[in-house]
Amino acid sequence: MNQAEVSQLVSKLRIRINPRHKNLKCPEGPQGRLNKLRKTVNALFKYERLELNYTLADETRGYAERLISEAIRHGDTHKPTMEMADYWIEEKQLIHKLFKVLVPRFNDYQTSYTMLYRAPKAYPEIVYPRSVLELRGNPFPAILPQRSDQRNFIHNVLLDEAKKAYRAEKYEEITKSLEEQRDE
Amino acid sequence: MKGLLALRRIQHRLYTDFDALCHMILGHAPPPALSFASPAETLKPSTPALTNVQRLFGDSILRAVPKHRRTIEKRLKRKFGCIDDFYKMLMPRTDLLTCNQCGHSYQRRHLCPNCYKRVKDETTEFQEVIEKELGLEPIEQEVVVLYKGERTKQPVEGHWNGKRIIELKREKPSWFCRNLLQRTTIGNSDSKDVQPSELA
Repeated sequence: MNQAEVSQLVSKLRIRINPRHKNLKCPEGPQGRLNKLRKTVNALFKYERLELNYTLADETRGYAERLISEAIRHGDTHKPTMEMADYWIEEKQLIHKLFKVLVPRFNDYQTSYTMLYRAPKAYPEIVYPRSVLELRGNPFPAILPQRSDQRNFIHNVLLDEAKKAYRAEKYEEITKSLEEQRDE
Repeated sequence: MKGLLALRRIQHRLYTDFDALCHMILGHAPPPALSFASPAETLKPSTPALTNVQRLFGDSILRAVPKHRRTIEKRLKRKFGCIDDFYKMLMPRTDLLTCNQCGHSYQRRHLCPNCYKRVKDETTEFQEVIEKELGLEPIEQEVVVLYKGERTKQPVEGHWNGKRIIELKREKPSWFCRNLLQRTTIGNSDSKDVQPSELA
């Protein structure tokens, strides 16, 4: 009856959040875990692309997404949001970046704000799975190669049109030759 | 010298053990060798069997030995490993694909190692340059990294509006798709259209 809607309280993220957190190896306990996550969130806002262990990257992703979405929802005049940004971002010049660079960048996004890829493994070695975590719209070269086999790719559109024109030309030639034969 | 001594010791032990063994099995000492008879010597009385066994155990080395046979499951697991956990036999991998871009093989649902290495090197260089340039000042603009000679190709005002430009001192690597980023229509060109020929 008098319950507030959950969507009013917490912004809905566009990534999948696991029902249970992932364990990070941390001798310092829960506080150490938070410190670790804080460090990586800060690094993500600073460098925009990181290579991390998969579990750490996956955990960090949720916190970073949440922070960005809160910043977009409430802006920099909202006290709790600013306090949260102050807690999660240790290098304070990045708080400016969050509200002045990332919020305008992600304002119109319909997708998630971060991307997570699985990094390649060195074959015979048995290692912990690595992953690449990045903010979308970063200034670096794209991680996934441009796909040239898609139908709407400009090369393919042009080639299709050229093929059509060529075929039409050929058909005209054929009809002409047929008519000439008939006339003879 | 040391080796000689060791050999001597082994020889001695063999002799004594052999005597004891013979004594235990046959019940008496091995036949005595020929010797000169002397009236002073008397035959020694044979030692009882129990002390002989004690001597045998005292001289030789006894080690711990397995008491039970290992089960077949345990033996097989030691030999071949566990198929889900750590399998020791060689198995063909079915999750390898060929990268469309560079032709190296990569694991399914992972990044291609060759392509990723190139991107990673480029990225770390970008990050170093950006970090050096921005420093500790509050970051208020988007950052664009340009290669050498790229800035002159684009009009600075319109294209990079409101962005902070950082330039690298080298040219764009060839693996970047260059043609797609170049503007082809700048004003009205006088070129005549060329129909592609020999297609399909």
